[in-house]
Amino acid sequence: MDPLRAQQLAAELEVEMMADMYNRMTQACHRKCVPPHYKESELSKGECVCLDRCVAKYLEVHERMGKKLTVLSMQDEELLKRMQQGTGTA
Amino acid sequence: AERPWVCKAIMAAQPPSAPGEPAPPPPPPPLQYSLLLQHLVGDKRQPRVWDPAALGGIPCPPKSEEQKMVERVMESCPFKAALACVGGFVLGGAFGIFTAGIDTNVGFDPKDPYRTPTAKEVLKDMGQRGISYAKNFAIVGAMFSCTECVVESYRGKSDWKNSVISGCITGGAIGFRAGLKAGVIGCGGFAAFSAAVDYYLR
Repeated sequence: MDPLRAQQLAAELEVEMMADMYNRMTQACHRKCVPPHYKESELSKGECVCLDRCVAKYLEVHERMGKKLTVLSMQDEELLKRMQQGTGTA
Repeated sequence: AERPWVCKAIMAAQPPSAPGEPAPPPPPPPLQYSLLLQHLVGDKRQPRVWDPAALGGIPCPPKSEEQKMVERVMESCPFKAALACVGGFVLGGAFGIFTAGIDTNVGFDPKDPYRTPTAKEVLKDMGQRGISYAKNFAIVGAMFSCTECVVESYRGKSDWKNSVISGCITGGAIGFRAGLKAGVIGCGGFAAFSAAVDYYLR
């Protein structure tokens, strides 16, 4: 698969992936940081601080898992290539 | 093999061709996931500007830099402490002047107990008392507000425990100058007072 085709496919998928990640992150951080007591409409300082930390952690987790997944899939492909060469020559 | 499902995938990807029939079309080249992932989440990812409205949020105009800076300052702990300090000063001044007005011991002279104090004496006493109370209230208010802000930032939650903890710290710090027992009593008293105020306000 040539890199240009991969880049195009990745650009299409990235929008969907980012939208999904944004929605999940909003839901998770809202559930964790904003308790359902609505005495006032403004976010208090504690809630703001909690939301900042939640978003930072979520994005870091997303990046680390992505890198780990990339490494794993490269290992899988090496294995696949070696097996195909093995069955080809055998 | 470590990953037996990979072998099964290879075997399944090459269907056996029956003799005499036209050869089946070659299977499409498998998706190279690692290359795709590198473009999606890995090193070859392009930096992009994401608009929350496009991602599924509610569209709203982005905040300007000045607005963000002003909001950051107004939510910061030092600003809140300064605000409480000024408020405490004003309130303490008013309280001091009021108590000086209803105090009967102003300008007391032991040689002439029935003398009414002069206006100058009364005003001077009011001023002194007002300033003294104002300074005390300002310090206490600033300390309480600062500790409450710090505790709330640390915990990341906003509930009644913040004011109780910061009340204990403030009362303890004030009372500690008169000894350990006074510190403990101050902690308990101030914590109970701020819990009552919090209960009333929430």
